Amino acid sequence: MEFEYKNNTIKFERELSNLDELVLRFTRILDRQKIKYVLVSGYVAILFGRSRQTEDIDLFIEKISFEKFEQLWKEIYAKGFECINDSNPKDAYDYYLNDSLALRFALKGTFIWNFKVKFPKDDLNQHSLENRVKVELNNETIYIGPMELQIAYKLYLGSEKDIEDAIYLWEIFKTTLNKELFEKFVQKLKVQDKIKELEGAK
Amino acid sequence: MKKFPKIDLKELEEDKKRNHEQRLEFVRIYAKWVKKTPNKVWSKQHKEFIDN
Repeated sequence: MEFEYKNNTIKFERELSNLDELVLRFTRILDRQKIKYVLVSGYVAILFGRSRQTEDIDLFIEKISFEKFEQLWKEIYAKGFECINDSNPKDAYDYYLNDSLALRFALKGTFIWNFKVKFPKDDLNQHSLENRVKVELNNETIYIGPMELQIAYKLYLGSEKDIEDAIYLWEIFKTTLNKELFEKFVQKLKVQDKIKELEGAK
Repeated sequence: MKKFPKIDLKELEEDKKRNHEQRLEFVRIYAKWVKKTPNKVWSKQHKEFIDN
């Protein structure tokens, strides 16, 4: 894998899957609406080549007013997406986003893939958003959560799929990680016992 | 049914653990391959997998 990682930016070129194209289509809407977002979890591993399927793409967006959300909602619908779990923007804003629940957006008439959009609800979510990493993929820009937190959090979640994602990202990025920051997340999330999984048996 | 199969839970548990370890081993091997392979090559395979 050829990539350049400097100044908090990862630059690389590769063939895009339909999933990547859809992610770019959705994040362009957020960019046009000037809404700060960060992609986290499974898609981050898939973006860098992990061979697994997913049904959703997780992202946090910065907390915005209802007025701004309504504009976003209109553009999302105008660009061919719809909200799967609520059809009313006011309810979607009040009962989902403001209650730390996820709204799911997919292309009209489909369920897979869907974008799981949330407001950050705690310091960890906020950290992802504030320390997002810029990815320049084939001259398009997207933003992902910092790798140190992505990997440690995957270890914390601990399902088979999450451990596999953590191992994969570790293998790809281990020489570029801020090890001190990574150790700090590992300690805070109390996943020291899972670290040995990353390298496997020697 | 002629005979109900014998179930050895201890053996099944060991199989499950071994399968899990092998799966993790595959992820490590695959990641190492992606790392040393040109983007054009691995991403072509990856795209086919994701799009199917």
